[in-house]
Amino acid sequence: RARSPMVTGTSVLGLRFSGGVLLAADTVGSYGSLARFRGISRLLKVNDSTVLGASGDLADFQHLRQLLEQMVIDEELLGDGHSYSPRALHSWLTRVLYNRRSKINPLWNTVLIAGVYGGESFLGYVDMLGVAYEAPSLATGFGAYLAQPLLRAELERDRDRDRLPTREEARELLERCLRVLYYRDARSFNRYEVATVTEKGVELEGPLTLEANWDIAHLV
Amino acid sequence: TTIMAVEFDGGVVIGADSRTTTGAYIANRVTDKLTPVHDRIFCCRSGSAADTQAVADAVAYQLAFHSVELEEPPRVRTAARLFQQSCYRYREELSAGIIPPQPPCAPQVYVVPMGGLLLRQPFAVGGSGSSYIYGFLDATFQPGMSRSQCQEFVARALALAMVRDGSSGGVIRLAAITEEGVE
Repeated sequence: RARSPMVTGTSVLGLRFSGGVLLAADTVGSYGSLARFRGISRLLKVNDSTVLGASGDLADFQHLRQLLEQMVIDEELLGDGHSYSPRALHSWLTRVLYNRRSKINPLWNTVLIAGVYGGESFLGYVDMLGVAYEAPSLATGFGAYLAQPLLRAELERDRDRDRLPTREEARELLERCLRVLYYRDARSFNRYEVATVTEKGVELEGPLTLEANWDIAHLV
Repeated sequence: TTIMAVEFDGGVVIGADSRTTTGAYIANRVTDKLTPVHDRIFCCRSGSAADTQAVADAVAYQLAFHSVELEEPPRVRTAARLFQQSCYRYREELSAGIIPPQPPCAPQVYVVPMGGLLLRQPFAVGGSGSSYIYGFLDATFQPGMSRSQCQEFVARALALAMVRDGSSGGVIRLAAITEEGVE
């Protein structure tokens, strides 16, 4: 109870754009400082309107994945045409994580939920303490320090023009953030996945590889 | 400890060193860390000997029961999942890293590290000695090796780890698990 995470995932990034939401995460499971498992997917397609990205303990993420998959199956069996909305899932997850923390036995994860439902895009955050909120841009772990400012700056610029970024702009921005994280986060990796959610559904891409630029090394 | 398992077309090669330590004393220098949990399903154990033996015994019992109910040999994934369930539920109390490799039907290697994560991989290493050979493995591993290439690969890797890791040593125990049996 109240233990330390073992195999962990680092930052997850989320960004709303006009028409949907994007989530991105690298594909490494770190065992302390060792990049032990380099082909892990930390993005989960929950249903046709929602994706979930997890950082933190990956064994706990697998447990969450099983819970969610069973929930989705049970729901389909009801056959009433309804499926969980991203907001509902976010709320459910908040309750689960908060209750576990209240028993001093947390699921050691910070999770981003992204989705499109009823024409509206959704991006929410829940962490192992049960802290939950929504915002047009989100990041966990190191991303909160390095990527969030970049994401917010872009959204500021767009808000002045009264719009959200386009899908391409958002995608490019996320990749730039992932590169910054690769440069500066010692627990990151240059292979990553991206999930795009729009009215049409969920698209999972990856694993893709980031190109790093080390030209500045010559200046030293 | 250094333990390893590699898939090849037709089976799995598993290997381990043979050293058990209590602190700096070598309690057993001829340990067998390759433990059968079913006819063609083995596991490689690392971590606390007591914990891993207990878990392996429990899983062997569960598998035996399960295969009687099923009236056929249990699946690879089932065995791995049983290990994972124990390791995850009792993660606080356990210090166990398991690699169950097995081929009925198709050869598969799974790894259950500390914490209780379950992953399938083309090859897996574990134990304290594994840290010293990640570089060697990354540089040398190629998918699609033959049985004898795998055996050589595992033997070389284990040997390198055993030299450098004080908690690994003794002899290398190798096994090849195929449809025909375990050698």
